[in-house]
Amino acid sequence: MDVKYVNPFIESFAIVMPQLGFASTQKTGIAVKGREIVNTGVVIVLGIVGEIKGNIVYAIDYDSAKKIASIMMMGMPVTELDEMAQSALSELTNMLTANAATAFSNIGIIIDISTPTLLYGDNISIKMSSEKVLSVKLQADDIPLEVNISFENNH
Amino acid sequence: MGKVKIVIVDDSSFSIAFIRNILEENGFEVIGEAGTLDEVKEVVADKKPTLVTMDMTLPGTDGLECTRAIHKIDKNIKVIVISSMMDEEIVREAKDNNVSAYIQKPVDTDELVTAINRITATEELYDYLQDEYFAAFKEGLLDGVNRMTKTLLTYKEEYPFNKEHASAGITVIIGIIGKFSGRMLVDMSKETANKLAGALLRREPKDINEMIAALAEFANIISGNACSILNKKSKALGLRVAPPSILHGDEVHISAPDFSTMTAKADTDYGEILLNAGFKRGEEKWM
Repeated sequence: MDVKYVNPFIESFAIVMPQLGFASTQKTGIAVKGREIVNTGVVIVLGIVGEIKGNIVYAIDYDSAKKIASIMMMGMPVTELDEMAQSALSELTNMLTANAATAFSNIGIIIDISTPTLLYGDNISIKMSSEKVLSVKLQADDIPLEVNISFENNH
Repeated sequence: MGKVKIVIVDDSSFSIAFIRNILEENGFEVIGEAGTLDEVKEVVADKKPTLVTMDMTLPGTDGLECTRAIHKIDKNIKVIVISSMMDEEIVREAKDNNVSAYIQKPVDTDELVTAINRITATEELYDYLQDEYFAAFKEGLLDGVNRMTKTLLTYKEEYPFNKEHASAGITVIIGIIGKFSGRMLVDMSKETANKLAGALLRREPKDINEMIAALAEFANIISGNACSILNKKSKALGLRVAPPSILHGDEVHISAPDFSTMTAKADTDYGEILLNAGFKRGEEKWM
């Protein structure tokens, strides 16, 4: 899978997070993984169809998930991952992926995204449809978040 | 669907009379009018229109504040801005406030009627999908089990899914995209997954990877068939499925999405299978 498919996600992160009250964003790492992703915490899955077919999986640990939800809710303290916090995180991934889709359309690749599905738990193992998954580590105000990009083979 | 019921918001009695004429001459029903924020709240809560035409400049308020007030009452009410002002900035703000269309005064009859028809057609299509989709997914699962394992399945309960719930063991998620986007989710215990995969493969799965691959293809076929049934009934839906993602872990909980979905539980020869699917009311595509 071409690394150029990663840039729309980094761009979208840099555009969306400041709008939600985060002061700084940065990319801290990128890695190629096999088709299995493991995370303890929150996992949000979105489907992609169009000129590219695949899935985007956002992986966030519990603490970071609560911190992100709190900032999105204007600093309201979030002590547990309640319905409101889950809804904020789902909406976040929806915005991030939709903005990435716009960035893809700017380089001539038209894609559409599905609604996000949020799950949480321990040692969640996610099996993706592509052989390789590109995993991008990002940070907003030092809170880490991982975007896993799985596009099917022809790309 | 009956007549489209419309409320006109404008502070000029001339504009109200003008817009009312256009609407009534074209078969729409004008059920109320308002000129201030308080009047807007009152008439919308009282008359429950399908659609509101909205002026931008109003005494003591503006069209966007009124639009937000309307969507607080009912987010499904469609708002068309009709204003003499129109520039990129304000159109973008209107979009951000979930306005469905923006029309400049003086009003062109064709432009207004086309906008209303476009918006209500989307609504009708969504209502149609809401009525039909779950039967199609249930048929997809039933047919899939029947054809791929030669066994039968019985649905025992069916309910709207609006609270998070614990996964029984293995969850398969398939994103769906088209005129409206949504998802299908299948959940079952690891034991059921293993037995089902055995039936699909006609032998014991070699390892968890083979089991997962069988389930992925199974879910893919079910969602694909369900979407084909729906697309055949209405081409405008254009539903397509994304590849499946398969999840399992410890104490996994599945969150309720912020749109309505349906869940059914089915008894099979291999154990219980939970089927969940739903579609979100789409954001308006702007012209």
